[in-house]
Amino acid sequence: MVGISAVRVQGLWKRFGQQIAVAGIDLELPAGKFIGLVGPNGAGKTTTLSMVTGLLRPDQGTVEVVGHDVWRDPVQVKARIGVLPEGLRLFERLSGRELLGYTGRLRGLPGAEVDKRATQLLDVLDLAGAQHKLVVDYSTGMRKKIGLAAALLHNPEVLFLDEPFEGVDPVSAQTIRGVLERYTASGATVVFSSHVMELVESLCDWVAVMAAGRIRAHGSLAEVRGDAPSLQRAFLELVGANGRDTVSDLDWLGGGAR
Amino acid sequence: MSAEITPVVVRLKLSLLRNGLRQSGGRRAAYIASAVVTLLFAALQLLGLIALRGHAHVESLIVLLVAVLGLGWAVMPLFFPSGDETLDPTRLVMLPLRPRPLVRALLAASLVGIGPLFTLCLFAGSVIAVAHGAVAWAVGAVGVVLALLVCVALARAVAAANVALLTSRKGRDLAVLSGLVVAVGAQLVNFGAQRLGSAGLAQLDPVADVLRWVPPASAIGAVDSASDGSYGVAAAQLATGVAALVALLAVWARHLTRLMTSPDGSTLQAAETAARERTSTGLSRLLPGGRTGTVMERSLRYVWRDPKTKAAWVTSLAIGLIVPVFNAWQGTGSVWFACFAAGMLGIQMYNQFGQDTSAFWMVAMTISGTRDAYAELRARALALLVITLPYATLVTVLTTAMLGDWPKLPGALGLSFALLGAMLATGAWTSARFPYSIPQEGYKNVAPGQTGLAWISIFGGLVAAALLCSPVIALAVWLNASADGDRWAWLLLPVGAGYGAAVTVLGLRLAAPRTARRLPEILSAVSKG
Repeated sequence: MVGISAVRVQGLWKRFGQQIAVAGIDLELPAGKFIGLVGPNGAGKTTTLSMVTGLLRPDQGTVEVVGHDVWRDPVQVKARIGVLPEGLRLFERLSGRELLGYTGRLRGLPGAEVDKRATQLLDVLDLAGAQHKLVVDYSTGMRKKIGLAAALLHNPEVLFLDEPFEGVDPVSAQTIRGVLERYTASGATVVFSSHVMELVESLCDWVAVMAAGRIRAHGSLAEVRGDAPSLQRAFLELVGANGRDTVSDLDWLGGGAR
Repeated sequence: MSAEITPVVVRLKLSLLRNGLRQSGGRRAAYIASAVVTLLFAALQLLGLIALRGHAHVESLIVLLVAVLGLGWAVMPLFFPSGDETLDPTRLVMLPLRPRPLVRALLAASLVGIGPLFTLCLFAGSVIAVAHGAVAWAVGAVGVVLALLVCVALARAVAAANVALLTSRKGRDLAVLSGLVVAVGAQLVNFGAQRLGSAGLAQLDPVADVLRWVPPASAIGAVDSASDGSYGVAAAQLATGVAALVALLAVWARHLTRLMTSPDGSTLQAAETAARERTSTGLSRLLPGGRTGTVMERSLRYVWRDPKTKAAWVTSLAIGLIVPVFNAWQGTGSVWFACFAAGMLGIQMYNQFGQDTSAFWMVAMTISGTRDAYAELRARALALLVITLPYATLVTVLTTAMLGDWPKLPGALGLSFALLGAMLATGAWTSARFPYSIPQEGYKNVAPGQTGLAWISIFGGLVAAALLCSPVIALAVWLNASADGDRWAWLLLPVGAGYGAAVTVLGLRLAAPRTARRLPEILSAVSKG
């Protein structure tokens, strides 16, 4: 679909008491790209993703996903997106397989199709051995993987992942990565948040940098990186944390005398 | 390290206590209130025990009291593995500490708190109740300290021995059921006290004859022996107490050493535990298709697998049965009491989304309109009815059978069904309008700061349910009072059942659009646990 962006955000605001979490975001995310939303902890990434996916009501502003308004047209939007939120539970007293069966059927897919897709996803994500274990007994990496499987089950057009690699071991991370790369190669869009710049740099072709509730920069990886040697450097410059030198005070640290 | 660590650990415990209280005003108020109540209770016990001084069988009573208290100390760590961080060996694992001084320091720290103070009051009262003569008083002074140390060491040894269980998921699930244990324990104590009240303290003597040799009761039993002049027996009883203390400390020290030198149990455990095959139980084949069957299946699974939901259901099922049946048994009941079962079980419809915790987002992502919300709520109500309908019927029939009042059965059933319908309707509506979080750990059922919301939800709902039922209640009263009412009493069954069904559908219809509109608000309300 040429011309329609995956996500279009206009004038998005959210305030929690005194704290302004998101301070007027305007953003247009291109379709068919692997998009990274980066920023330090507390930048408002989770709040933004929650509002974009319809899990949190914004104070102001509009959000459109593939051309449909998230709050006025939830039927169109919810069928087209997959979500893996951060800090929210799953139905953990179900086994991995039961969780996928439950999610797929709630999404309105026929039972046989759900079971077929669940088997394939469990295989690809290396969860087949643990499919009958309760999710409450899963490790962090396994939880992220079963959450990803649940988000992919209905083959969404846009996938939103909040910190999908946080606390995940390298093997699981590689598995998740492989699945996501295959998924975007087919023309779908992935939007994911992270504060690990190396990861974003190696995965994404489009980046939005957030700090203190605002978008500081956005565009293709090359545009955002500019002249800096790495995204990490460019990011530190953008959020104004570059060149802070606290090391000289700790002159006793290391060396011979204790 | 040569510095003495006992004062350090005791100070740490005091700071943790102080900082815990500084966190919030509500917490401080709750702590002070519980301290005042506990101390008042302790003072009353003390007065009671002093008043019993000289009573014929008082020594049996105090031995039993001390033994029960000792039992309490032993099981407490299993059900309330609370946040006493000074006693958590995994926090100390990185420090260069030897087991012996550590055990001494932790034992001293364990003596700080309301629990030990309460125990001390009770033991002191016990000594006052039975001590006669200087030797007995001296034995009493030793006995109180010894008994207290045995209690504390017992709790610590049990906790250290079960640390793998307590830090695992199964242990945390067990802790959630602690409310049930307290409720059942209170019933047993109540029952025992009533028996004693009617039959006298002499009944206790045979039990006490055994318990007076079991630590920690033996330490207080020694006081009674010394009062009687049996100094040899007293010495032997004290020696039993000392031996128990030494043994418990040794067990504790051994487990502590092992805990601090072996890897954390949680990492080992993740590797093994072969997954049990959870094949389809055939449940899904009996349920309808689509959203309805899917949601019903998940709800019913949660009744069994989720400790919080399970505890709530067991409580409802037990109380719903006990109240009408026990009243009927004692001959004080009436068939109408059987409606209590329907009411208790209908409560499970309340705060449906709070029972989901923040996993509600998975539901919210699949509700895109009133129709979805209606299907979701209806399926949850149906899942409830699968258990509730047969159970309420069973309780009603059982109560009627015990009272032999068969002509009233159709009426009681009809009223039960009407009440159940009203509870489902109000439950669905309040679930959408006043959702609140249920903390997943511990025994609390409302997240801090949402108590008001929970009260509105439950009590407002109950009043509304009673009002909704009033036409059926009025009909029942009228049929009961009128001259040839008995001839038409059967009418209450179809009328009540039909009314209940209609009210349920109406409630779900009203709740559905509200649920669909308020999804983000519900999610944030239920995510605080």
